[in-house]
Amino acid sequence: MTPFVLSVLKYSLLGLLYFFVFRAVRSVALDIAGRRRERRTTEMRAPTEQVAAARSSKGGKPPSHVVVHEPDGAKARNVKLSGPTQIGRGAACAIRLSDTYVSQVHARLYGENGSWFVEDLGSTNGTYLNDRKVASPVEVHAGDVVKVGKTVLELRR
Amino acid sequence: MSRAVVRTSRVPLGSALGFTITALVLSVGAYVIAGYGKRGQLPARFVIYAAIFAGGYALALIAIRRFAPAADPALFATAGVLVGLGFAMIFRLSGGLATEQATWIVVGLAAFVVTIVVVRDHRMLDAYTYTIGLLGLILLMLPMVPGIGRTINGARLWVQIGPLGFQPAELGKVLIVIFLASYLTQKRELLQVATTRLGPFRLPAPKHLAPVLFAWAGSLAILFLQRDLGASLLYFGIFVVMLWVATGRAVYLVIGLVLFALGAYLGWALFDHVQLRVDVWLNALDPNKVFDLGYGQLAQAQFGMATGGLVGTGLGQGSPGLIPFAPTDFIFAAIGEELGLFGTTALLLLYVVLVGKGLRIALEARDPFGRLLATGLSALIGLQTFVIVGGVTRVIPLTGVTLPFVSYGGSSLVSNFILLALLVRISSGPAPGRAVT
Repeated sequence: MTPFVLSVLKYSLLGLLYFFVFRAVRSVALDIAGRRRERRTTEMRAPTEQVAAARSSKGGKPPSHVVVHEPDGAKARNVKLSGPTQIGRGAACAIRLSDTYVSQVHARLYGENGSWFVEDLGSTNGTYLNDRKVASPVEVHAGDVVKVGKTVLELRR
Repeated sequence: MSRAVVRTSRVPLGSALGFTITALVLSVGAYVIAGYGKRGQLPARFVIYAAIFAGGYALALIAIRRFAPAADPALFATAGVLVGLGFAMIFRLSGGLATEQATWIVVGLAAFVVTIVVVRDHRMLDAYTYTIGLLGLILLMLPMVPGIGRTINGARLWVQIGPLGFQPAELGKVLIVIFLASYLTQKRELLQVATTRLGPFRLPAPKHLAPVLFAWAGSLAILFLQRDLGASLLYFGIFVVMLWVATGRAVYLVIGLVLFALGAYLGWALFDHVQLRVDVWLNALDPNKVFDLGYGQLAQAQFGMATGGLVGTGLGQGSPGLIPFAPTDFIFAAIGEELGLFGTTALLLLYVVLVGKGLRIALEARDPFGRLLATGLSALIGLQTFVIVGGVTRVIPLTGVTLPFVSYGGSSLVSNFILLALLVRISSGPAPGRAVT
């Protein structure tokens, strides 16, 4: 192996090393771009889907409070929305309910870019937004009503 | 029975395959080049080592595809490149150590696969806060036990049971990070509330500040008992970073820095070996001290990196064997000699990618525990790399910790692979298939 071949190999190794680093860094960048594109396509969904999505929420301002009406007739609680809020019977939930029809970790409310979404976390009895079952995360607005088990959550400004 | 939110987006196979194949080519390529540079021929065990790398990376890729399909495609490959470069360098320094390292790579990859398969959902670790914490503490303290503890190179880090020697603290680190993530997720609300005033700062109640002081005392105790500067720095650093991220209160960073400065000064004032480290750092190139303990090795590392220049002498063609502890603490300097500034920069970029991806995983994690765990694990890799690379390049006093994934050493390699598996798991979300309760 001549010194020349060895240095060619050395430079190839360094080149390949930087190629790998470049690809790895780019994969992060593409990841972000891909997510953005995904969001854009959800915004420009097929018209029928758009109608369906619009009907499930009344539209309007994003909520800042949620009023919890539990079925046992106890006094309604007012909870301020500040970060991702889990709803359920479990101890880890920010909105903890004693409703037996509610799962341990039932659903969650979370904010993204100033909008709020409700998402069902695989509950047994389902989560309903304005009496429509929530299958995937749906945007919520002030005035919407979310039902989990027998509990009613009212979203307010 | 809460089914976790399973991300359905499967990463395309091409992307993961491309990264892993590039990692494989780099690993085996570096090894072959080192063989030609050293002896002018294909290394005698080429087939065995190439098969280990190819088989190991393929198995890891299959495990990721099967059990963590939404994981970041470049995460494992990045670590794979680091392992490959480290192996080539170790092989170049000593064939015997390379055989041992190859064995540890096999064990490490096995540990990686097992961790991915067993930990189907990282949140299951959240249930064993104190068990994991206790286990981590036991592992840290194990070398103190008379009879099985061993002192090697001035630090009491080893446990010797029969023919098997290992450093339990390496795995202990990962367990401590899991414990901290779990503990701080539970307590962060208490730690967020500031009640007492101290000068310009508003501090949380002393009761809740206790864990910070406890961690500080603990890392000082490690310094006292095990004479291990690197580990002590690492634990405290990770703790402060995780506390900061968990609570979002920068005051912990300030308190941490003040306590760290205090601890560093105390350590310097009280311990000879700390004073020696500082003096070695400042006067490594003093010609009068070259033959004293510690000075020469750091000087050799500087000379090695200087010899390497921009692109290095080429693998197998320098003389990194002159640097003491070249396969472990000083492997960065050895790589600097043979692959030059470009090689070491690429190496650091690989760590940047690894830590950057770890922090991205943290940002995207849906649960607070996963977020904090990913942050802590990334901080562990980042801080450890900084401590050893900073030490070798004389940015900070040298403290002996391993360069993650690169340095020779079984305990470190295996626990880093377990750490990587946890990051892959958090990145992918719960494993598909059986519902996790």
